[in-house]
Amino acid sequence: MRRVAVVGVGVTKFGKHERSSAELFAEAARDAIQDAGVSPRAIQAIYFGNVVGGEAERQLHMGPQAASVLGIPAVPTTRFETACATSHAAFRHAVMEVAAGVSDVLLVGGAERVLNLPTDSATEYFAFASDAAFEQPAGLTFAGVFALMARAHMAKYGTTEEQMAHVAVKNHRHGVLNPKAQFQKEITLEQVLASPKIADPLKLYDCCPFTDGAAAVVLASEEVARKSRKPIWILGSAAASDSMCLHDKKDLSRILATERAAQAAYRLAGRGPEDVDVVELHDCFTIAEIMATEGLGFFEPGTGGIAAEKGWTSLGGKLPVNPSGGLKAKGHPIGATGAAQIAEIVTQLRGEAGPRQVDGARVGLVHTLGGNAATVLVSLLGSE
Amino acid sequence: MSKVITLKAFFEEARAGRLTGIRCGRCGELAIPPKEFCPACQERAWEPVPLGGHGTIASFTVIRVPPRGRAAEAPYAVAVVRLDEGVSLLGRIVDIPLDALKLGLPVRFRPLVHDNQTVVGFGPAV
Repeated sequence: MRRVAVVGVGVTKFGKHERSSAELFAEAARDAIQDAGVSPRAIQAIYFGNVVGGEAERQLHMGPQAASVLGIPAVPTTRFETACATSHAAFRHAVMEVAAGVSDVLLVGGAERVLNLPTDSATEYFAFASDAAFEQPAGLTFAGVFALMARAHMAKYGTTEEQMAHVAVKNHRHGVLNPKAQFQKEITLEQVLASPKIADPLKLYDCCPFTDGAAAVVLASEEVARKSRKPIWILGSAAASDSMCLHDKKDLSRILATERAAQAAYRLAGRGPEDVDVVELHDCFTIAEIMATEGLGFFEPGTGGIAAEKGWTSLGGKLPVNPSGGLKAKGHPIGATGAAQIAEIVTQLRGEAGPRQVDGARVGLVHTLGGNAATVLVSLLGSE
Repeated sequence: MSKVITLKAFFEEARAGRLTGIRCGRCGELAIPPKEFCPACQERAWEPVPLGGHGTIASFTVIRVPPRGRAAEAPYAVAVVRLDEGVSLLGRIVDIPLDALKLGLPVRFRPLVHDNQTVVGFGPAV
C-alpha cells in the first residue's frame, strides 16, 4: 500500500448561511485545492458527505451538483452517509483509493445545511439516524440518546453534571481562538449548569448547535505530496460499528465502536494513545467527549470527567482536546464535521493554528461518531 | 431450523400485549428481533420465546425539546428497561410521575399507539 498525505484543507465559516450545501462545499473545496497548490483538473474523484439534504434542501445526488458548482463537472463523485461520521467515512475510503494506487489526487469533504429549518424539524431529521422501529416512535432525540448514556456513566462512575459542564466551558474557551467557529464567546460553569434542560441530565450548553457549513481536504499519493508545501501523513484510519439499537448495546456507559476503531487505528499506525499530542474528537454532547477520551485510551474508564475537571484536556494541559472549539463551540454541520476535524489536526501538525496552536504537535488523532454511537471512525495523522 | 421474527410480527404481537424475544439454539443468547444470525456466535438457530414484560429501569431521560409533532406530549420520559429475562428494551414511560423515575425502578410493558404505529411503552409495575 502507498503512503497517503493530506496536502490541502479548507473550511467555511460555521454558522448560518444563505447558500446551498453544494455552494458551501465548493467554497471549502476551492480553499483546499488552492492550499494544496494543485490545479482543479488534477482532482480524479470527489468523496462527498451529506446527511439530511433530502429533507433539508430537497436535494439528493449532491455529489455531481457540488462538482458542477466547483467547476469540475466531469469528475466522478460518490455521496457517503454514516450520520454524523459521514465525511470521516468518506475520508477513510478515499485514503484507501490513493493507497491502492487507483488515484493520485482526490478531494474529500462534506457539507450540511439545516439552519433554514425550524428546530423541531431539524431534531426530527437528525433522529432519522436512530432506529425507526423502536427509538423514533418512542420520541427519542439525539440529546436523549446521549442523556441515556450520560445517566449510565454517572451511575457507574459517579460522573457529575459539573464535570460535563467543564467540557462545555473548555470548548467555548477554545472556540474564541478559532475565527471559523460558530460561537466565539466564553461561557461559565454557572451558565452551563443553569441552562434549560433539553433531555435530563443534559442541558442546553451540554449540546452542540445546529450548524450550516462545509469542509474539504485534498489527498495525495506520496509522490505528489512530496512536491507540496507541507504534507501531513495518514498513519492509520479505521472504522468500527456497534449494535444500532441502544437496547442491544451491552454497556451504555461505554462506546464499544470507539474502542474498536481506536484499537484498529493504533495498530495500523504502530502508535498508541501515549504518542498522541493533539486530539479532535466528537463532542456532540459534553458526555460524548468524556466517554471518547476514555474509549480512545487517554484516560481510564470512569476518569474522563475528572480529566475535564482538572483541565488536562485544555490547551496548555497534558493532552489538548478539541483546540478548534469542538462540535460544541465550532459547530456541527453533520456532513462536514469529520473533514473539519481532519482539517484542524492538519493545521495543528503544520504548526499553523495561531493562538490555538498545540506547541510541537507531531501526532494527532481524529475521532468522529455517527448516530446512536453505532458508527465510529478514528484516524491518526503525523507530520512525518 | 430457525424462526425469524420480523418487525411486523413483533409489533403485531406487541400491540396485543405480548412481547417476543428470540433465543439462540446454539449459545443461548437472548435478543430482541429482528436478527438473522446470532450476534454472539453467528449461528442461525433462533427460537421465539415469550417475554413477561417485567423489568427495571437501566437508564432514562426526560425529553423536553421533542421532535416535530411531539410538542403536545413533552415533557415525556424514554427509558432503557432491563427485562427480567436478561435482555433490554427501549420504550416510552407512561403513567409514572417524572420526578418518581429512578434507576432500578420496576416497570411493566404496555403497548402504545402513535400515528397508528405500535410503540413500546412501560408503565408502573403494579
